[in-house]
Amino acid sequence: MVPPTFLRTIEDSGFSTWLRESESPFAFYFVLLFHTFGLALLVGANTVLDLRILGVAREIPLAPLKRLFRIMWLGFGINALTGVLLIIAYPTKALTNPVFYLKLTLIGFAVWIITLLKDRVFNDPKLDETAMMARGATLAKWSIFLWIGAITAGRLLAYTYKYLTYPC
Amino acid sequence: MNLAHLHLLLNHFPIIGTVVALGLFIVSFIGKNDDLKRSSLIIFAAIALLTLPAFFSGIGAQRAVRKDPLVSTAVIDRHEGAAMLALFFMLITGALALIELWKRRRIVTEKPWSGTLLAILLFSLITAGLMARVGTTGGDIRHPEIWSVKDVTQETGLSSFVHIFEPKPSKFTDLMLVSKYWWAFMMDLHFIGLALLIGTVGILNLRVLGFEKRLTGASLHRLMPWAMAGFGINVLTGTLAFIGMPSYYAFDAAFWLKILALLLLGLNAAVFYLTDAFESVERLGPGDEAPRLAKVVAGSSLFLWFAVITLGRYIQSYADTIR
Repeated sequence: MVPPTFLRTIEDSGFSTWLRESESPFAFYFVLLFHTFGLALLVGANTVLDLRILGVAREIPLAPLKRLFRIMWLGFGINALTGVLLIIAYPTKALTNPVFYLKLTLIGFAVWIITLLKDRVFNDPKLDETAMMARGATLAKWSIFLWIGAITAGRLLAYTYKYLTYPC
Repeated sequence: MNLAHLHLLLNHFPIIGTVVALGLFIVSFIGKNDDLKRSSLIIFAAIALLTLPAFFSGIGAQRAVRKDPLVSTAVIDRHEGAAMLALFFMLITGALALIELWKRRRIVTEKPWSGTLLAILLFSLITAGLMARVGTTGGDIRHPEIWSVKDVTQETGLSSFVHIFEPKPSKFTDLMLVSKYWWAFMMDLHFIGLALLIGTVGILNLRVLGFEKRLTGASLHRLMPWAMAGFGINVLTGTLAFIGMPSYYAFDAAFWLKILALLLLGLNAAVFYLTDAFESVERLGPGDEAPRLAKVVAGSSLFLWFAVITLGRYIQSYADTIR
């Protein structure tokens, strides 16, 4: 089966070619770097929140950790943007690989969990710490599981693609 | 200066450092001196960190010395196998020392012995012995005048027993490259370790710098074992990756700058724990502003960790930049 031709159209564009082929350290690897920074902010901050909800370092007061959501959204924003740029650089590589859709699905669920954690655990002023932990426990476990899955799927993209660029 | 230079400079630290730390460690029991014990544990951890570049630079030294017709490959391989075994024991000793240092901060105990202390004694004794062998086999490469037998690769006595456990370097490399999925799995763990480490270290650093002052310093410091778990995962998977593709990493400028940044992080951690910066962070209550020294250490830590990520990401594009 030949991949759809719009992938070739993206790939042949000047911007895509520059991202992919430029020798400049501010092209492809720069985008990849910021994708990793975004991962560190998003998953790093979420992991701390999950661990605390699950009872790690109980001395940390839970309510002030609400500020971590800002860091998570910053990381998510960086990665949505750099993610799009990475697809523009290698559209055929990403979009013809089933693992890519698995990764997006896992991220979708993980981000949904973030919104649930915020709404159900942190935005309910009636809850004390014990109630917050009880209500967040299952969400926190899913969050860790989904992020490990998303990182794994992301890593696999470098090893499982069928086409690197559009087959001529 | 080239990598052979660097190797000759660094290779003395693990050998001498292990013996010094072991000596202090044993004396601390005889003299019942807890400060001395703490010092020896810090040296074990520091030497474990320094052993990494000593090991990594060996590949560069190997390339330089291989051109010499008087040097045999078998003698080099023997040294590399000995170094690999010693490195793993050194890393375990360093990790145990950090665990003991952490336990010491939390629990005041009258008991002179614990399982961890016993394990440190055992592993550091083995490490010291293995390091001696690494030094001897390394010396054998360039100094046939110290050879005790005609062919040093024919092991005798205790050496022949130790040699059974020393991996053949090429075999170990092949083992890392057995499947791209094994490699992908190691890299996967490296990224998971990164997220765990940056998340836990990052929030402590940010609080010291003034982010969300309702959080207290002491409570966030309780996350440190998780940060160290992430760091441990990454030292292990990183070292295994190096062993899998040694000449890919060893001649890469970004790789060496990343190692430099990690050594500076070790120095930064030493400044944090050995000055009053640590006590000031432990006392940081709700609303408190951290003193300047603590802020400098926290800022350096954040900067250096992001530098480590940056340099790691650029390893691929800076392959073969060191000749």
